[in-house]
Amino acid sequence: MGAGTYPLQPRPSLVGTSLARVARVYAEFVRVGFVNTLAYRLRYYTGIVTYFIYVSVYYFIWKAIYADSASIQGFDFGQMLTYISVGWIIRSFYFNNIDQDIAYAVMEGKLAMDLIKPVNPQFMYIAQALGESLFRLGMLTVPTAVVLLLVYPIRKPASALHFTGFFASVLLSFFIVAAINFAVGTFAIRLQSILGLLRAKYFLLELFSGLLIPISFFPRIFVDIFAVLPFEYISYVPVLIYLGKLSGWGIARALTLQVFWILVLFALGDAMWRWSSRKITIQGG
Amino acid sequence: MIGAHAANCAQWAGYSMSPIVLVENLTKEFRTFRRREGVWGALQNLFVREYLTVRAVDGVSLSIEPGEMVGYIGANGAGKSTTIKMLTGILVPTSGKLVANGFVPYRDRRHYTRHIGVVFGQRTQLWWDIAVIESFKLLKEIYSIPEANYRQRLGVFSEILGLNDYLHTPVRKLSLGERMRCDLAASLLHNPPLLFLDEPTIGLDVVAKDHIREFLKEVNRTERTTVMLTTHDLSDIEELCRRILIIDKGKILFDGDLQEMKKRLAKFNQVKFFLKDRAQVARLPLIATDGISCERVDELTYLMRFEREQHSSAEVIRTLVNTLAVRDILVEEEPIEDIVKRIYLSGEVA
Repeated sequence: MGAGTYPLQPRPSLVGTSLARVARVYAEFVRVGFVNTLAYRLRYYTGIVTYFIYVSVYYFIWKAIYADSASIQGFDFGQMLTYISVGWIIRSFYFNNIDQDIAYAVMEGKLAMDLIKPVNPQFMYIAQALGESLFRLGMLTVPTAVVLLLVYPIRKPASALHFTGFFASVLLSFFIVAAINFAVGTFAIRLQSILGLLRAKYFLLELFSGLLIPISFFPRIFVDIFAVLPFEYISYVPVLIYLGKLSGWGIARALTLQVFWILVLFALGDAMWRWSSRKITIQGG
Repeated sequence: MIGAHAANCAQWAGYSMSPIVLVENLTKEFRTFRRREGVWGALQNLFVREYLTVRAVDGVSLSIEPGEMVGYIGANGAGKSTTIKMLTGILVPTSGKLVANGFVPYRDRRHYTRHIGVVFGQRTQLWWDIAVIESFKLLKEIYSIPEANYRQRLGVFSEILGLNDYLHTPVRKLSLGERMRCDLAASLLHNPPLLFLDEPTIGLDVVAKDHIREFLKEVNRTERTTVMLTTHDLSDIEELCRRILIIDKGKILFDGDLQEMKKRLAKFNQVKFFLKDRAQVARLPLIATDGISCERVDELTYLMRFEREQHSSAEVIRTLVNTLAVRDILVEEEPIEDIVKRIYLSGEVA
């Protein structure tokens, strides 16, 4: 342990925050999120079964509803089955638990560990969640899609262009959900225990995103309200693109609005974090 | 006292002489609401809340020179951790001035934390489910540590702390001692000039403690890393720190040289003696008189304690050997634990 083994090195100087460096840091968080999920890969085998059961339940419900009519609100049965199936398949990719992660970090006093690192907490949580989602894409989303395609007569995407638009739209859905969850999670800092709130948010998000029923099935007034909120851009809009109910400029407009909502929600999350982090109290230790 | 430390630092040519940590009148209040008991109380809590303001840190001032190792001690709830959390930018002070390493920690958190290392003994900053080395790689990117520096430092740390055996193990499978070694390495990978340790040896066995202390000494010696550590294990402080800060009920009670504190505040001397045979035990009451207490350590070993001002050790020992058949005698200073216990209990430095 002589002095020779441990020579003095220059301290890292104040490095400018170049965009490339920032990108590398958060790319590394994506990687860690991905690797971290490896520890739980067994969970996804049961996940495939769960998703299959969800879709099957809706299959029978809608089958009963469509027994008397060929088309409801412009959806025939084949479209409705595709709507539900594709909705659940993409959900297995875009969902994340950032809100719960923050809530537990607050309850267990682990939030301090996020604060001692020179990183933007919002980007950090979202990057890690993206790593997780990319892992799930291979371990859950694709297998679930294959199983569902084998069992149910799910329709193909309207066209290659529609599929491309759909793909981009789902990626953006991830960021909308992540930004919402981060913003909701920051409430934990002031309120300490928000698990009840998170449960309510979970169900509202499933409903408002269009996962359970297409948004157009809601009463007119709700359809108008949802149009100026971000939620339908999570599930309803990407699946409409897949089905070909949005085309050309419609797709471009939808993607643009998704990006718009991501920016708004990121700004909101950032403001919420700033507002809350002054009130951090960390128990114990 | 601070002057003496400054003089010691002067030998490090080229190092700035201004303090690396400067705290003035730092105060942190927490507002908690008083919970009433029972069902009726719980209902009342929903509508009317009574708030209590607790002042965890109350007008603390201190300054630390570059290269110092300072021990920060206090009873549970004295305000140690709250101070450390303000110094590391986690908590926002209620009032007071705070500058560390040229930054105001809570205001410039993201720039400030780039240049400090932090270890909380009760928590880990490593990712729980992935191999230790993966966390290190992430830290390398976070702090933009050049590849060559990273490899070199990781090599040295692995050697000193013996990390090689478990670098590829997930953190959740490590023992507490192994985890702490990894956490310590993680906090120093980017070679911060300032290191905060909050109970770094809590729950560790003797070997692990020793490893960690040796490592800290080495880092402080070779890199001049300034270290501030809190602990309940005063042997940590005796091994590592020349300077000690004692906090109680949010206020600094003592700030100065450890040896000087011992000299000034040690009130008692103790004489440990070993009896020749069991027959001597009956005669023990003869020596435990007049302000001299005598307690049993084990069957034939006893410990006498007396005030230094009242009795001289020589006189006590003379009485002892004249009264009892004694095989061996050891004269000891009052242990630092006892001095500190007295300070905690009385809440003042007498």
